[in-house]
Amino acid sequence: MKINQKMLGAAAVLAVTLSATSNTLADGHAVGIADIVGDQASTDDIVSYGLGPKGQRYSPLASINKENIKNLFPVWSFSFGGEKQRGQESQPLIKDGVMYVTGSYSRMWAVDIATGEELWQYDARLPEGILPCCDVVNRGAAILGDKVFFGTLDAKIVALDAKTGKVVWRKKIADFEAGYSYTAAPLIVPTEAHGPLLLTGNSGGEFGIVGQVDARNPETGELVWTRPVIEGHMGTLNGEESTMTGTKNETWPGDMWKNGGGATWLGGTYDPDTKLAYFGTGNPAPWNSYLRKGDNKWTSSRIAINPENGEIEWGFQTTPHDGWDYDGVNEFVVFDMEKDGKTIKAGATADRNGFFYVLDRTNGDFVSAAPFVKNISWAKGIDENGRPILDPENRPGDPAESADGKKGKSVFAIPSFLGGKNWMPMAYSQDTSLFYIPSNEWGMDIWNEPVTYKKGAAYLGSGFTIKPIFDDYIGSLKAMDPASGEVKWEYKNKAPLWGGVLTTAGGLVFTGTPEGFLKAFDAETGEELWKFQTGTGIVSSPITWEQDGEQWLAIVTGWGGAVPLWGGEVAKVVSYLNQGGSVWTFKIPEQLAAK
Amino acid sequence: MLNNLLKYGVAGVLGLLVIASTGYARPYDDVIDSGYITIFVYKDYAPYSWETESGELKGIDVEVAKRFAEDLGVELRFLVRGADENIDDDLRINIWKGDLIHRRVADVMMHAPYDREVDTRNEFAVLMGPYFLEHMALVVNQKQLPVVENFGRFMNKPIAVELDTAGDFFLSNAFRGALQRSIRRGRTFADVVDQYSSGEVAAAMGSLAQAEWIATQAPDIDSHIAQPPMPGIVRRSWPVGFAVKHDSRDLGYALADVATQLMTSGELAEITARYGVSYFSPE
Repeated sequence: MKINQKMLGAAAVLAVTLSATSNTLADGHAVGIADIVGDQASTDDIVSYGLGPKGQRYSPLASINKENIKNLFPVWSFSFGGEKQRGQESQPLIKDGVMYVTGSYSRMWAVDIATGEELWQYDARLPEGILPCCDVVNRGAAILGDKVFFGTLDAKIVALDAKTGKVVWRKKIADFEAGYSYTAAPLIVPTEAHGPLLLTGNSGGEFGIVGQVDARNPETGELVWTRPVIEGHMGTLNGEESTMTGTKNETWPGDMWKNGGGATWLGGTYDPDTKLAYFGTGNPAPWNSYLRKGDNKWTSSRIAINPENGEIEWGFQTTPHDGWDYDGVNEFVVFDMEKDGKTIKAGATADRNGFFYVLDRTNGDFVSAAPFVKNISWAKGIDENGRPILDPENRPGDPAESADGKKGKSVFAIPSFLGGKNWMPMAYSQDTSLFYIPSNEWGMDIWNEPVTYKKGAAYLGSGFTIKPIFDDYIGSLKAMDPASGEVKWEYKNKAPLWGGVLTTAGGLVFTGTPEGFLKAFDAETGEELWKFQTGTGIVSSPITWEQDGEQWLAIVTGWGGAVPLWGGEVAKVVSYLNQGGSVWTFKIPEQLAAK
Repeated sequence: MLNNLLKYGVAGVLGLLVIASTGYARPYDDVIDSGYITIFVYKDYAPYSWETESGELKGIDVEVAKRFAEDLGVELRFLVRGADENIDDDLRINIWKGDLIHRRVADVMMHAPYDREVDTRNEFAVLMGPYFLEHMALVVNQKQLPVVENFGRFMNKPIAVELDTAGDFFLSNAFRGALQRSIRRGRTFADVVDQYSSGEVAAAMGSLAQAEWIATQAPDIDSHIAQPPMPGIVRRSWPVGFAVKHDSRDLGYALADVATQLMTSGELAEITARYGVSYFSPE
């Protein structure tokens, strides 16, 4: 019976595919690299993650605005189906009336926007033995020419024919059996030497992996260059060794650099002006910072890579010698900052460690840092060179010192290891010059575990649990003025925020909540203007575009991600949330548009 | 296209059936009624459990698992996975919750430490049936280091250890990091065996069973076992048993009886001897 239903399902998909390909994709042109670079200005498509490679998540569309947002209604909802749900963190792409959207468990769909019908589905066959640390999410695809690209949980990158969903090529990013995975949206950048390149980072647990950025020829999937982010590792260019990252052992003891961590798991952004690609790097391995004295570069950092040759132009370490699990992967958003009558070619990032950094994006020089969450305790502040002023009391204790079998020193560090802000991308408005940061107010107790075991053998480990700081809320959407470091307004949410943000020329800020609401706020005041209940938690990033003269909005829904995998007191505010897996689209109905 | 879709469809359904039959760790009666038992062993964990190049499973834990199944009179199925970050993760993934993708669990997890604290903080797993006493030890190249009275010997002699294991954490921490330059971390245990056999390191650190096993794998090297003082190490020895899910205690008791029988009859010592490993009773 089950088999029959599956087969019928398959046949139905096929029928839709045949009929739809013949009419929907007939017109339009293939996506070129100029379309990607200029994605932010062109409102009729979304051909990059972040609504343009700068990652601003700002749309110049203003048809939907503060006055008429009350008339925003759903057009259709598309279910990802199957039994596979969990976290849906994807940002869809839009091209020629087709939506390309990825989902949990390494799946992808093409949907006809006019009707909400499926054109094709691609379902990666995931092998046994993958142990993704933090849910089975995917954050989105890239598109170029007639292909769409996305990474799968078994650390592979796949190019699909945009019309049919058939595999054009499939390449291994890294070995999943060695602990690697892949969840980020790939980044496509222009180069003079090689034409457009497809850039990917890598993901993985703390199994002694090494963060790396790879550049591939999007036509063939062949590697052009590779750049490991840990000092001492060699990069490659055109199949040959290029240069070493940093200087071996400068900031790492012994051979620990060989397995130093620093996974580039959230992908990157690109600036057409400086022609640099910006990637963030994860925390160092092993977790116990007492074993790896030194800054441990380039973990918990932002690095700028020249896409022509894969060389690191500059690096900036937000958390040197990390001991709190403060990944430095959060997106580096390219923008120009007016300060004291000057225009600074800047970039901004809201770090896991709770500080919002502005850097000179041409050279990585530190401009300023300001806390974007409350009561930060791991550091007293950031000094004039951008280094944290540590509070030694709040570095987790050395497990070796609890050898007497006691629980050992316990510290309460703010933010928690899930960060003042986690993966979810912020937005920057060119109208208000404010950043809209989806943040969380939580800390963590860390203590030395008297004994734990790894692969059957005993050692001294650490235990930790996340705790909210305030009784009534964890999530906090903040409007941050990058020039002054001041928070202009704040929206408080009971559950932790885990979705991305979008802002528009209509004076609006959109984000979703785990409670299931897609919400719109006044970009100037933070006043909540509109909300819609989608029926499951939202942990993805909204988009907006124009089609047939109307402004559309879309959001992927489906509760999950890393939050529900961690218990503690946070579990109380999220345990009742139901899973799902859908895309919702919205617009203002014609009858109401004129009003 | 149609063929592919049909294939995927059918494979998907078959996949579901497999998951349905192995998706939960089961009490004794269910195991007996079904006619099979699924037992977890670690991948790349010689001499306890490992896969040969031809795909054959070998090792002490594998043989004990075979005796478990024989005694219950059921078919034996293995679940083989690498170790996660710590025992709590392993218990979650292999015994009570399953992995995120395929949701597969085993009825029994071999080589779980018999430790009250671990047992207490993992409410969905029960640690039972200690059958072996594990120690920390070194295998030392006699020619390079005739005597190892303390770890100071490794200030200037290279020592191999598997990355991210208890031995790695101990060595990294020893003498406030003074041995860091001498540590040669193997990505896998097999790498450690290779490093030692080729003579490029003076010693390797692991459990006593691993140390003895390495010696058997390096017949050209004159090896001795050393257990110098390990200041700051949390346990020099600990009992090893197996884990079952919290509602499968009856299965655990049945298997603990088998383990006791293996110990008292001397069969367990015979099994370990086949791998060149000394047997130490947990009692």
